[in-house]
Amino acid sequence: MNIDLPQTNRSRNRALVEFIVLPFLFLTVALLGGLRIGAESGAFIFIAPPLVTLLLATLLLLLMVRGGLLRLHQWVGSDFPPLTNVAHIWMFITIFFGSAQAFNSVLPERGLLHWLFSFFFLWTLWNNQFSSFDARRLLRSLAVLFGTAFVLKHMLLASLYSPEDGWLKRVAGTLLQGVALGTFDAPAFAAVTGYIAFFTLALYVAGLILLAFAVNGETIVTTDSVVNNRQQLSDGERPVENLSLSE
Amino acid sequence: MQSRTIQLAGLAFTIAYAAFIVWIYATEPRTFKEVTTSAEVAAGTYEINQEKFNSAINLFRREQFRAARVEWQQADPAQRDARTQYYVAYSFYREGWGRVYFDRELFKQGVEAVDRAIALSPANTLTIDDPDLQMHTAAELKAELEQGLERNWSDVNPLKVLRTRK
Repeated sequence: MNIDLPQTNRSRNRALVEFIVLPFLFLTVALLGGLRIGAESGAFIFIAPPLVTLLLATLLLLLMVRGGLLRLHQWVGSDFPPLTNVAHIWMFITIFFGSAQAFNSVLPERGLLHWLFSFFFLWTLWNNQFSSFDARRLLRSLAVLFGTAFVLKHMLLASLYSPEDGWLKRVAGTLLQGVALGTFDAPAFAAVTGYIAFFTLALYVAGLILLAFAVNGETIVTTDSVVNNRQQLSDGERPVENLSLSE
Repeated sequence: MQSRTIQLAGLAFTIAYAAFIVWIYATEPRTFKEVTTSAEVAAGTYEINQEKFNSAINLFRREQFRAARVEWQQADPAQRDARTQYYVAYSFYREGWGRVYFDRELFKQGVEAVDRAIALSPANTLTIDDPDLQMHTAAELKAELEQGLERNWSDVNPLKVLRTRK
């Protein structure tokens, strides 16, 4: 009875993470990723994910499958009960929209910079499709990618478009002399937008880390069960088991 | 069995949460107050502030149309009450009406408000029993406002100054 308890707790906690915590985290990212606060009115502005973010999210999901962060065959298949399949597919959907909105939170809203950022994201994700990745490397790469985009948009660009005449504005003004400012047009948002974006990205990366643990936990569970089964075998049965394992 | 319960509960909870997010993005509330108002509308518990409505009616009768509209806006922030929207449209009509010309901008806003009133009323017909008004149906008011927006040769008729405001 006591031996089964850790196993029961483990499966219960895993179910909680997979079916409640992870979808909730990614849906919260989907909610906050498009939220901006108006600079003057302080009103909520909800920006639905642009089409390009859906494309970026698709590429990111492919990358997650390649990097082993999403193991489709372990979570969805004809061997599993229908409810489990539905719950896992639902989790993938929440990851997709969470990813799209995470991109939305770090993309400039319009103008040339929107397309420049989109291009760099596309370029990076497309290049990564052909690199060798594991879950850990992918997580690091994504944290750096989103972190860099956050710094560029919510610190450098926000400073550039702030109503106050900061040092960055003066430097950029000198560098971009002669370039039409309309090309780099961007709406000004309240400073709290940056905090919301930071919280959103932190939540997204935390969700991915939790997802990696859920995937690794599954591998550990699978390995544990093989080892446990092997320990319960008699001396006569072990050579047969060795043969089947080597096959 | 417990895992199945968690799966079911998780699905129900997160699908409800996703529906809430879709609703938020569809309605685009600008403040927390608007979030609660929209939620009341969705739940069917929305009611206008009757005190503000009565205060607006008094202002309307004293021909203080802009002040009346501010009060009606506060009485019906979600613009979901047909009667209030009818009065808002009427205030645009009375303010925009002129013996020599009509204010087209105000009349346009009046048409928008009366359209809202018609859309909100059951079977798209709305009748207001107010003896102070000369037009008692939304259809009459809409026709009057639309007529005011049209441009034709009768606009140069000097006898036009003899017409009366309804």
